[in-house]
Amino acid sequence: MSNLWFLYLFFSALLIFTGIYCLLTMRNLIKLFIAVEVISKGVSLAIIATGAVKHSILLAQTLAITYIVVEVSLVATALALIINIYKKNKSLDIRLLSKLKG
Amino acid sequence: MIIQILLLSGLVIFSILAILLKDLLKAALSLAVASLFLGIIFFRLDAPYAGVFEISVVAGLITVLFALTVALTRKDSEVKEARLTRLAFPLFFVIFLIIDGLVMKSLLQQVPALPAGPETGSFGEVLWKSRTFDLVAQLGVILAGVLAVLALFRKKEEDKDE
Repeated sequence: MSNLWFLYLFFSALLIFTGIYCLLTMRNLIKLFIAVEVISKGVSLAIIATGAVKHSILLAQTLAITYIVVEVSLVATALALIINIYKKNKSLDIRLLSKLKG
Repeated sequence: MIIQILLLSGLVIFSILAILLKDLLKAALSLAVASLFLGIIFFRLDAPYAGVFEISVVAGLITVLFALTVALTRKDSEVKEARLTRLAFPLFFVIFLIIDGLVMKSLLQQVPALPAGPETGSFGEVLWKSRTFDLVAQLGVILAGVLAVLALFRKKEEDKDE
């Protein structure tokens, strides 16, 4: 069972790395939120896999469902923000946001 | 074990495609396929409720939201990425793969064992009795999300009136 746990967390770390790489290097706002989604997939996988291996799958499922609900709210709000930013700047370039003055 | 590895590889490959594809709509669809793989993995790990949520909400609803946003921002939405981003990704990925393989096993050995024994009861009992406050928090988060989206679009209408 330990090997299975290693396998799942190994792939989970790969997903999180892929998402973080995209967050650090890309400039398109929608791409950045796709990266956040990829990271959240890695975290969900780690939660469920650890629950399955440690015989706490019911608790892990409730945590994963809570996580998915939070994720949906985040994405809905973020995409609404992106649409507003696009309508003001006519671009999805993240670098334009650095010119904002508070 | 082989099926698990294939499913996990599919998940990672489609996630990478979602990040590297230039067309945003194709990227969103790749993300949906990755969610589908994750949902199947959840089913195989005896987590059917999480699998259903993953497939219906993440693969379905979030993909629709992404597609809608891409459609609304399609004109002039192309952003020039740095050339090195896509070229350097395989190199960094392989380096991380090696480090991950070397370090993860020793990290897992340091995680202490959970004190509790195997779970008893049903999923409903755990969700409604043990994690009641999570449900309250979920309601709060959904309400906050709805209010935030409403506020963002209402502001836009006021701008039009002016």
